[in-house]
Amino acid sequence: MNGITFDGIFFAMVGAAIAGLACCGSAMGIGIAGQAASGVVSEDPKKFGQALLLQALPGTQGIYGLLIAFVIMNKIGLLGGSGALDLTMVQGLYILASAVPVGLVGIVSGSAQGKAAAAAIMLISKRPEEVAKGMVYTAMVETYAVLALLISFLMLNSIQL
Amino acid sequence: MAIAKMEKLAVIGLSSEQGTFIEELMRLGVVQINAQESKLCDEKWNGLIQKDDAGKWVSKWEAELDRIENALILLDRFIDRKAPLIRERARISEREFDSTLEYEYEIRRQMLRLTKLSRRYSHMLLRENKAITARQALLPWQSYDIPAQDYKTQSTQVWQGVIPGMNDSADFLKILTDKTGYADAEVVHSDNEQHYISVVFYEPAAEEVQCVLRDLGFNRIALPINSGSVKEAIEELEAQLDALRDERKSIVEQVRSFESFEPTLKMYYDEIAMRKDRAVIREKFLVTDSTFYLEGWYPKIARKKVEALLLDRNCYYEITQPGKEEETPVLLLNKGIVQPFEAITKLYSLPASRGIDATPFFSFFYALFFGMMLSDAAYGIIITAGTFLIRRKYHLEGMLKQLVDMFFFCGISTTFWGLMFGSFFGDIITQVSTNFFGHAVHFPTLWFSPINDPMKLLFFSLGLGLIHVFLAMGISAYMAIRDGQPMDALFDTGFWYILILSLIGYLGGGMVEGAPAALPVVCKWLALGSALGIVATGGRQKKGIIGKIVGGLGSLYGITGYLSDVLSYSRILALGLATGVISSVFNTLGTLAGSGLMGALVMLLAFCIGHPYNIAINALGSFVHSCRLQYVEFFGRFYQGGGEGFRPFCENTKYVTILKEEL
Repeated sequence: MNGITFDGIFFAMVGAAIAGLACCGSAMGIGIAGQAASGVVSEDPKKFGQALLLQALPGTQGIYGLLIAFVIMNKIGLLGGSGALDLTMVQGLYILASAVPVGLVGIVSGSAQGKAAAAAIMLISKRPEEVAKGMVYTAMVETYAVLALLISFLMLNSIQL
Repeated sequence: MAIAKMEKLAVIGLSSEQGTFIEELMRLGVVQINAQESKLCDEKWNGLIQKDDAGKWVSKWEAELDRIENALILLDRFIDRKAPLIRERARISEREFDSTLEYEYEIRRQMLRLTKLSRRYSHMLLRENKAITARQALLPWQSYDIPAQDYKTQSTQVWQGVIPGMNDSADFLKILTDKTGYADAEVVHSDNEQHYISVVFYEPAAEEVQCVLRDLGFNRIALPINSGSVKEAIEELEAQLDALRDERKSIVEQVRSFESFEPTLKMYYDEIAMRKDRAVIREKFLVTDSTFYLEGWYPKIARKKVEALLLDRNCYYEITQPGKEEETPVLLLNKGIVQPFEAITKLYSLPASRGIDATPFFSFFYALFFGMMLSDAAYGIIITAGTFLIRRKYHLEGMLKQLVDMFFFCGISTTFWGLMFGSFFGDIITQVSTNFFGHAVHFPTLWFSPINDPMKLLFFSLGLGLIHVFLAMGISAYMAIRDGQPMDALFDTGFWYILILSLIGYLGGGMVEGAPAALPVVCKWLALGSALGIVATGGRQKKGIIGKIVGGLGSLYGITGYLSDVLSYSRILALGLATGVISSVFNTLGTLAGSGLMGALVMLLAFCIGHPYNIAINALGSFVHSCRLQYVEFFGRFYQGGGEGFRPFCENTKYVTILKEEL
C-alpha cells in the first residue's frame, strides 16, 4: 500500500462508470431491434420510418445511464470550474451504490426491450396500422428502467455532501 | 358526444331509379350498406329475390383502373419533381370535376396514348438490352477479321470458342497441332477468365478435330453475326443502340409533354374508382325484376338528409332502432379541442358500440402528461410552431390531421410546463451567460425546478395519477349505473374510493400540520370498513361460501394493482428529468471550450446536434409513455374496445377531394 489511497472521488467515479454501463443494454437492444428492422425493410422499404421509431425505443436506458453519470459528476464537482470536492470514502461508496440500479437494470432492460422492439417490428411487417400497440408493448419493459432511474436519482439526491 | 347513435335502415326502391339512387347515396356518404347473406338463405326471401350482380362492370372498371394507374406511374417516373413532404389530395369543386369529366372520351384517348408510349418504352428497353448483350459477347472478338460468310467453305470450317483462363493458351496450340494435323488455331484475345480462340480445320476430319478440342476443354461459341467481320457487327450494334437510345429519349420527352394532363388523369382515375365502387356495392343489394332492396346503418344525426334522399327517389323505407344486444358500427363524434385526441383512441381500438368513448375524458390528461414529460418551453414552442405551420401549409385529412392537431395542443402544454419548471433548451441561458458574459442570468422558473426538488414533482405526479385512476374508476361506475347495476358501482368503485382516500388520510394525515387529530382515527375506521366491504362483496359472483371469501380476499389484494398503477405515474418525473438533464449535458459540453470565438463555435455545434436529438428522442418517449398511461392505467379500468368502424358508402377518392357546394 505505497501511499495508494482509495478516496471518495475514486468511488464516486466508479459509480458514474457503472451508471454509464446502462449504455450496454441500449446498445444490445438497439442492435437486436435493428436486425429485425433491416429484415422487414428489405421486404418493404416504406416501413423504414415506423421501424426506426421502434428501434429507437431501447435507446432510453443509455440516456438514463448518462443522466445519472452526469448528475454524479456534477455533484462531486468534476464538471464545474471549481474542481472536485473532497469526499470521504463513505460518501464515495454511497454514490457508487446509488449508481448500481440504473446501470444494472439498464443492461438487462435494454436488451429485453430490444427483443420486444424486434417483435413489434415483426408486428408492423404484417400490420403496419398497429404500430401504436407495438410501441406500448415495448414501452412496458421500459417501466423498470424508469423505476431504476428514479431509485438512483432519489438515492443520489438524498446524499449530503 | 362520443359515440354516434346509429339507426338501421331498410329500403325498397324501383330498379329504374337504382342507378341514380346509388350515385346520390354515394354523394351523401353517410350510409353503411350491409351484406345480405342471411336473407339469401332465408326461405321466405330466397324465392323472391336474388343478389344483384354487377361483376361484369366491376371487372371492366378494374381493368380501366389498371391502365390509368400504369399511365400515372409512367408520368410519375419521367416528370422530374421533388416528392412532396406530405401527400395531400387536390381540392376541387364539384362543378370543376364534372366539367373536366365531360371530356371523358378525349381523356381516355390521351390515357391510351400514354399506355402505348409505356409499351413502346419497355419494348425499346428490351431491344436495347438485347443489343447490349450481343455487343458484350462480341467485344472480345473485336480484332477477329474473318468475315462471317467465310466460317464455312467447301472443305473447311472455322470455329470460335473459349478455353478457361487458367489453361495456358500456348500449350493449347501446341497440343492441338501435335494431336491432329487437320487443324490450326489462333488466340484472338485473352482476359482473366478466358482465352478466345479461333480454330480452322479440314471438314472431312471434323470428328477427329472435335474430339481433340473436347479433350482440351474447348467450348464452342456461336457468334451472333451473319456476315461481315466482328468489328462491323459491333459498329452496327452501336449505331442501333444509339438509335434506340434516341428513340427512348424521344418517348420520355413525349411523356413529359403530358405533364399538364396529369391532374386531369388523376380526376379520371377517381371517377373510374367511384364507378367501380358503385358497381361493387351492388353486390350488397337484393333485386327482383323491377325492385331493389338494401339494408344499412346511418348515424342518427344524418336522418333528415337520408330521408330526403329516399323520398326523392320514391323509395319505401323503414327505420328501426338497434336492438339491445345488437352491435352497431362505431363512429366517434367529438367536438373542438378534444377531437384530435380521437387518434389516440383509434390507435388503441375503437370502443365497442355499447362501450364508452374515452376521448373527452383523457384528452386533457394526455396533453398534461406529455407536457410534463417533455417540459421545455423552447421545445414546446418548436412543436407548436411546427405543427401550426404544417396545418397552414397542407390540407391534411384523417388520422394524420388529428395527430398533427394533437401535437399542437401537446406543444402548448409542453411550453406551459417548461415555463413552470424554468427550462428553455435546458439551462442554456444560464450556461451561455455565465460562460460568455461572466454573470449568470437565469430563465425564470414560475413554480419550481424538478432537478432541485424531485420529491415535490414525484408526489405531484403520483397525485395526478391518483386523479387519473379515480376518473377511470368513476367512468366504470357510471357504466355500471347506466347498465342498471348501481350496486356494482358501489361495491367495485365506491368502496375503493373510500378505502384509498382513507388510507391516504390515515397514513399521511399525521404529517400535515393543522389537520384535526381525529382525522387518522376516522380514516382508520373508514379504511377498515371499506376493506371489509370489499372482502364481503368482491366474491359475490362466486359460488359457495368459500368461493365468496376467497373471491373477496382476492379482490382486496387488488390494492397492489392500484398501488402499482399510481406508482407508474412516477415516469412523468423520470422522463421530465431525462429531458432536462440531457439538454444540460449538451449545454455543458458546449461550454467546455471556454469563451471566445472557438467557444462560441463549439457551443453552436453542441446546440445544433444536441437539441434536435434530444427533442426527437424525448418527444418520442413522451408520446409513447403518455399513450401507455392512457392505455394501461386508464383504459384498463373500464374500456371495452373492439368496435367495428363505421364505413359509409361514400366517395372514396385517392387523388382529389370533391368539395360539395351546399345548396
